[in-house]
Parts: sequence; C-alpha cells; structure tokens
Amino acid sequence: MAELRTDLPQVLAILGSSDVCDRVEAPAGSALLRVAPNEAMLVGTDDADGVRADVPGAALVEAVSDAWTSFVLEGPDASEAFARVSELLLPEAGWLQGDVAAAAAKVLVEAGTITILVPANLAAHVEERIRADAAEVLTR
Amino acid sequence: MGSFEFEGRSVTFRPGDTVASALYRHGVRTFSRSLKYHRRRGLYCGTGDCPNCSMTVDGQPAVRTCTVRCAEGMRVERAGGWPNAERDLLHVTDRLHRVMPVGFYYKTFVRPRFAWAVAERVIRRAAGLGALPPTASAARKVVRHVHVDTLVIGAGLAGLEATREAAASGSVLVCDEGLAARSVAPGSAPDPIEELRTAVASLEHVTLLDEATALGVYEWLHVPLARAGELVHVYPSRVVVATGATEEHGVFPGNDLPGVMLGRAAAALAGPHGVRPGDRAVVVVRTEEGVQHLQTLIDAGVEVVATAVSPALVQRVPEGAGEIVAGGDVHEARGGSSLRSVVLRREGLGKRFECDLLVLSLGLVPRDGLARMALPGEDVTVVGDAALGVGIAEPGGLDGMVCMCEDVSMHDLEQAWDEGFRNAEILKRYTTTTMGPCQGAMCGRALSCFAASRDATPAPSPVAPRTTARPPARPVTLETLAAGVHEIVDRRTSLNELHVAAGARLDRSGGWLRPFSYGDWREEYRAVRERVSLMDVGTLGKFAIAGPGAGDLVDRLFPCRIDDLEPGRTRYVLTLDDAGYAMDDGLLSRVGAEEWFLTTTSGGAGRADARLRNLADRLGLDAHVLDRTAQWGAINVAGPLARDLLERLADDSIDAASVPYPGFADLSVAGVPCRAIRTGFVGELAFELHHPRRRGPELWAALADAGRDWDLMPHGLDALELLRLEKGHVYIGQDTMPDDTPAKLGMPWAVDMSKRWFVGKRALERMGELPMARRHVGLEFSGGPRATADLRGEPLLVEGQVVGRITSAERSIVLDRPIGLGWIRAVDGGFPDRLRTGSGATASVVTTPFYDPDGGRMRG
Repeated sequence: MAELRTDLPQVLAILGSSDVCDRVEAPAGSALLRVAPNEAMLVGTDDADGVRADVPGAALVEAVSDAWTSFVLEGPDASEAFARVSELLLPEAGWLQGDVAAAAAKVLVEAGTITILVPANLAAHVEERIRADAAEVLTR
Repeated sequence: MGSFEFEGRSVTFRPGDTVASALYRHGVRTFSRSLKYHRRRGLYCGTGDCPNCSMTVDGQPAVRTCTVRCAEGMRVERAGGWPNAERDLLHVTDRLHRVMPVGFYYKTFVRPRFAWAVAERVIRRAAGLGALPPTASAARKVVRHVHVDTLVIGAGLAGLEATREAAASGSVLVCDEGLAARSVAPGSAPDPIEELRTAVASLEHVTLLDEATALGVYEWLHVPLARAGELVHVYPSRVVVATGATEEHGVFPGNDLPGVMLGRAAAALAGPHGVRPGDRAVVVVRTEEGVQHLQTLIDAGVEVVATAVSPALVQRVPEGAGEIVAGGDVHEARGGSSLRSVVLRREGLGKRFECDLLVLSLGLVPRDGLARMALPGEDVTVVGDAALGVGIAEPGGLDGMVCMCEDVSMHDLEQAWDEGFRNAEILKRYTTTTMGPCQGAMCGRALSCFAASRDATPAPSPVAPRTTARPPARPVTLETLAAGVHEIVDRRTSLNELHVAAGARLDRSGGWLRPFSYGDWREEYRAVRERVSLMDVGTLGKFAIAGPGAGDLVDRLFPCRIDDLEPGRTRYVLTLDDAGYAMDDGLLSRVGAEEWFLTTTSGGAGRADARLRNLADRLGLDAHVLDRTAQWGAINVAGPLARDLLERLADDSIDAASVPYPGFADLSVAGVPCRAIRTGFVGELAFELHHPRRRGPELWAALADAGRDWDLMPHGLDALELLRLEKGHVYIGQDTMPDDTPAKLGMPWAVDMSKRWFVGKRALERMGELPMARRHVGLEFSGGPRATADLRGEPLLVEGQVVGRITSAERSIVLDRPIGLGWIRAVDGGFPDRLRTGSGATASVVTTPFYDPDGGRMRG
C-alpha cells in the first residue's frame, strides 16, 4: 500500500542567465531543480535573500511557495500509485518534470518517497485524481 | 453447473464452458445475423477472430461469445434481426443483391437530396451489431502506466519461449488474451504451455498479465492493453509479437452456413467442452493440426462421412474418417437455415455428401496485425506462428463470403475490380472488406490473394499485398478508450471553498471553476454600481517579466507605446499575432527599470506564457518570465466606496496620488502584502489586489468583514457580463472574431504605428491600405424578445441579408434599455446604422461606452 500526504512546500525560483543558474547550489535540506537553461528552482527553502547574496546577477530571485502544492507518496506501492496518474518513468533517485494527472508537475524521487509538485490551482484536481485512480493501492 | 438467461430461456452451463459452447450444447445454431443481407451465421472460428458469435452480453453489444466464460445469471441475447434473429424478416435483403451491390450507398439515394437522410436512417436500423445501451453509465476503468524492457504479446509456446529469453537481460511483461488463446489447440496441447508458463512465471523480472488484449502498437512503442477493469499503457523498449495464427478462412459458395466451422472451433467443442459439433461431418484437412482435429471429432463420436485431405497427409488420416478424398477440395456447401450437404471436388469431378457439419483445417494465417502497425526501425520482433508468411493462393470459386463482418462476397470483389478498384488497399476502402470487427483476421488473406491473383503486374516476390493494419486490433469498448481521459481539468482559486460556502453557483470559464452568481446577480450588479463589491479575479494570468531585455520584450510584443510608461504606472495592452489579429488583452505595469508585471485574460494565460518565452528566445533577449498565475491570487474591490473600504484596512495611503489611475502600488491590506492595480473594466473605482495565494481567504474575509455595514456582497461573472457591457468593453473570444484587428474592434488607440517594430505591425500596415470590410459596434435594441440576453448570437440583417451578428446583449440596469455589442459588414461601401435582428428587433448602431462615457467614475 501507499500513503498519500499533502504538503505546502517551500520553493524558490531563480531566473537568470545559464551562467548564473549554474552557480546556484542547494542549501542543506533542499533540492536544486534546473528546470530550464535560464531557470532554477530550489525546493525546501524560500530564503531569497540568501540566494541573492550567494548568486549575484540573477534577474529574479523570488519565493514562489504559494504557487505550488506537493503530494507525497510513500510506501511499497508508491510507484504503483504514481503509475495510475502518470506515464513518466521514475528514476531510482532524482527528479523529472512532466504530466501528472494532466498537470505540469515536478517529481522528486528519493528513498522510496515520491514528491509531486503541482501548480496550486490544480492541487484539488490532482488530489482527486490520485485518490480516485489509485484508490486500490492507497491506505485510507 | 450453473445457468444464464438466453432470450428468456434458462441455459445451463458446465465448468469451463464459454457462452458459445453452452449455447451450442443447448441447440443454438444461429448465433447472429449478418450485417447487410441478414444471413444466418453460426459458430465459426471459436478463437475470437470472426464476428459470427457476437451477441449482447449483460447489455454490452458485440461480445464474441466464444471468448467469454459463462457466469451465473448473465443475460445473453442475439443482436440484429427483425423481429428476432431466429426468424428475421429482413433476410429478404439477401434476395436483393442486384439492387444492393457492393458500394451501393455511394451510388444511390443521391437525388433527391433528402433521400439519403431517409435511407441512412433505415439502413442504420436494419444493420448493426446491436444497440448501445442508452441509459447505462460507463464503468470507470483504472489506468496504469508500465515501463518495461520487453513486452511479449501472446503467452503461447512461442511467446513464453521469447519471454524466457528476454528475461535474461531485463524486465519482461507478457500479456495474453487468455481464454481464446488457451482453447486454440485441444487435447494435449495446453499441457506444455502450462508447464512453460509455470517456469516463466517463477523468473525474476517477469510479469504475466492475463486476459489482457493488446489494442495496437503506437508510435514510440506504446502498447495499450485492455483488461476487464483497467487500461494498461505499456512503454516497452522492445516488443515481441507472439499472437499466433488464425485458421484460414475458406471461400466457396455456402461457406457461411451454420454448420460450417473451422477446425479449432469444432475440436474445442468436441474436446474440452464435450459438445458434439454435429452428427455427420465432412472434414477438410490440409495441416498436421487438422489431423488432430479430425481425431478429436472421431473420438467425440461424430460420424465423419468424408475427409478431403492433402496428398501429403493421407497416411496420417486416422480410422473412422469416412471416404478419403485425397487432394480434394470443397466445391460448395448447401443448405437452408443450416448445412445439409457438401460437394467435394477432385480433378474436376464433384461428389455430394449429406452432412450437418463441415470442418475446415485449411492452413494458418499469421495474426500479425500488431507487428504491422509498428513504424520502420522500431524494435518489434515477430515469433512463432505470427511470423508465418502470406503466400499467394488462388482464391476459391466465383462466389462465397470473403468478408463475413461486412457481407462482401467474391462476386462483390469481382465487381469492384471490374469497376476499376484494382489493388488491395482501394478494394478494401470501396468494399469495406477487412474493415469490420475482425479487422481482416478472416478476410485479409482472401482479399490480398484476390488482388494478387488478378494483378497482371509481375510481382517482385510471391507475397500477397497486405492492407495497412491500424489500431484497434480487437474491438474495444468506448469506456476503455475513455479510460484516463479527463478532458475537464478545473483550476481553482484559493477562494473556491469560500465561494462554495457562500452558496455560489460555480461553473467553468476559461479553464477555471468560477462563481457566476451568489444568488441574485442584479443585486450583485447594484452593489458594484452603488456601493462596493468583491470579485475573485485570481484566475487572471499574471507574469513577472524581468531582466535587462525585459523592456525590449514587452515593447516588441505589444503594439502600444511602452517606453513612456513610468514605474508605478499601468497600461491596457492588446496582444496581436503575426497576422495582426487580436489574441488577448490585459494590463501591463512597470515595476522597475528592468521589471514588469503583466496580467492577461484568465483563458489566455497559457498562451501568453508561451508567447513571451518564445519571443524572448527568437529575439535573443536577456529577459526572464515568471508565471505567477498560480502563485498570486487577486481580488477586485470595485464600487464608489472601494477606496473607503480599503482605507479601513490598508496600512499605506491609497489616495489617487499614491495609487493613480492607471497605475499600481505595493501596499499592505489587512496585513497581507498586495499589489493594488487600478482597473476600469467594470466602469467604477476599482482596485485589483494581487496577493500571495495562500493568504487569499484571510484577505477576502477581512474585506468582507470591513464592508459589512455597506452591505458588501461579492459579484460573479453574471454581473460582470453587464458591468463590462455597459462600458462597451469586449471579451476577447466572445465578442471578437479570429481575424479582428484593432481597427475592426474600434481600438486604433491601442496601437502605435510609429513604433519601429512590434508583433503584427507589418500585417497591420498591409491591411491598413485596404478598405475596412467589417467592424465591431455598440448596439441598442427596440422590440424583439422579452429577454434581451436572448438576442446574443442572433444575426443582424439589412434588407433580409445577413451582414453581422450580435455577440453580447443584455438590458442595462443603469440605463434601463437593451444594449449589446456585435460586428457588422460593410454594405455598398458603408456601414449600416440600422439593422434588424434575426428575431425581428431593431438594432441601432451607437457609440460606446454606454455608461459613464468620460470615465469619471472609474478614475475616482
């Protein structure tokens, strides 16, 4: 079985040249997602001032936590539950972006935990889809 | 033992029975009626390949009963036939071949024109494989996505061997249709399969998926598998097609009579199901497997009166096979409602045998449609009988059914050939051979052989031309196709639950779930015009545009002047496409030297995001776009008391100097950081409060509470419709046409043609030299329907000619007269100013805005 949990993540967006984005490092406890050549995301922190200080020259460094909702799947059937709502091939560990329940999502995988970040305005839809489509492998 | 209901009768079944075998034991011989001529059709292939045994099972039409296990209490009935399949008066069409030749519907009912509409209805009622249940709701099917190294389709001997091999180098999913596949070869054949199956199932990385039907092989090796409760999307790196072979369909006069049966069907009945398929049989044996079938029939007590056998197999024919006709062939099958006799022919001489069963073991035809769907270069391997070739064989005599799904005879193919349809692909399209439920499983080879045998062009190789294989390989229900498809994806603002709690009527608009009204939209309207009201506009597209090239990006994207926009100021912007047509509109605010903030329409956010990024890339600008649509909510505080309300909650000054029109200021309202943008869409003093999404409910509650003594109420889209209409503001999409330019919309002020370049400028320059053929106008109505809103969508006419259309209409509350917007075409070089509407009202062209034309109220 798998357990589904909803979280309000801390997320920071860094927009700048690829050189600037190359210099971004993930603070402890956060994950760095290079979502485009000129765009990076840090999941797990919203310390915009800290990043601005570490990486001068960024066009925009902004806490965008409000834009995201995360769904965390844990348990032996976490991958099976995920496969009910997305065709993405999950890595053993790491992250990828793509379609999850018709929402543009970022998916982080580590140690049996799958974290799905979706735009907050689609959170209700995605949660409904996961709970309905993966019902038989989710703990109630 | 159990029982099910068949057309009002109770039919008992035994363990292992299929619906078809139970019915056969019960004495049913006519399983269906054919599509066109309503000919009787009996059990034929027994492997789920032909359409003959299709019936309606538990309300689901076109179920192949030879593949369905019996279940207690199921309801089974035959489809087609009037009044019923057993005594079908529509069988008269079988006498009307002359007036219903192949392709008759392309040639008849052409004139008078109404004839086809009538004929089509009659044909639809007469044909078909059963009726879809009009009231049943579709079952919800689960969708799963599976990634594997190898997908093996078919768990027969070849498929299981391929699985064992592939398992050595990666993960394998092997799927199997189950019932049909395992009933293929009666007798001892299932044992080695089961043995191998058990061995394979124990291998690491192997998953067996039973009763899963592969529907097709799509691009990039995507194979959907249909199962009872789910649709499994498989994405393999490699596909092995091990789907075996069907038995060859024999074409000769009378080949579709009940009692004519392929060897596997007869042997399955006689062997595993313990039902004698007939009393007196004629058997045709051309394969080793056919010899086994013959033995099975003899063992079951069937009296075999004659066996036509290939010379090479004569020595293998067992005792009890009746008269041996070595090298013989079927010349004709005769009968009425079922088979009565068969004429076997050898060296031109025929001999008639009385019988009620003709069993055909003519050879194998690869069931390789799935493999042929793959694109060149994709890693698809075909193994086992599915890899058999299709040589060219001389088809049968001058008649006999080639396609049993679509009732196409050899005679029909000859006729089509004579009409000039001279290759397999166009014969297929013209005659519909291979286009029925069997998808060519039975008739594909016969069609190919026919085309090859008639074609005088020397063939490079003795291979019959195959027609294109396309999904679905097997019949599939609509609910399976719809599994996982969720066309409606509702975005919701952070205030959604508050709207629900307030009793709002929510509906979809621009991809969002939005409140249309909270009760009485006219009261909501009055709140905006007379006091103050709130609207959830968090649905608007919102973008930060930043970087050294941000100014250039917005300057080149929008047609209006940008370089004079000071920080803190806002400007209305139209977005044009390269052809100069209006795509969207919004407000552009200058935040700083290198930062801008753009709002777009709710439905246009996705396009705006793509367009901004694309243009920045194309022009090589160092500009960055952050989509804040999900990050920020927005509440429009509108009405003459809007500023008074905000003064109660704002920590900063919000007077006209601090938050000018049109402009914005970043301030704190009820402790929530907001970007307050002055807007004029509703025609009153208004502040759009853009705020962090998660704090939306807190801000909304504070505003509602602070305005309680003014009887503050929220307004929805219904009220907004009239509010903006009174101002003459267009909804891009609702009021506009796809080729509307700013000039046609009466908005030349939104374009600065003196700018060096902007998207759509060249097109506007070219069109500017042409006379305007159509324009958007304000309208006032007199007469016509009682509800002005009903005028929306009506045509506008001048002297009976349609010259325009009404795009918005409503009775203005503040002006107390019906108003609207619409577009009109030029007539005789000028635009009419008085028109008739489709319902007879008079429409007069007037200038807009209808309300507060000098804009004093919105400037505050």
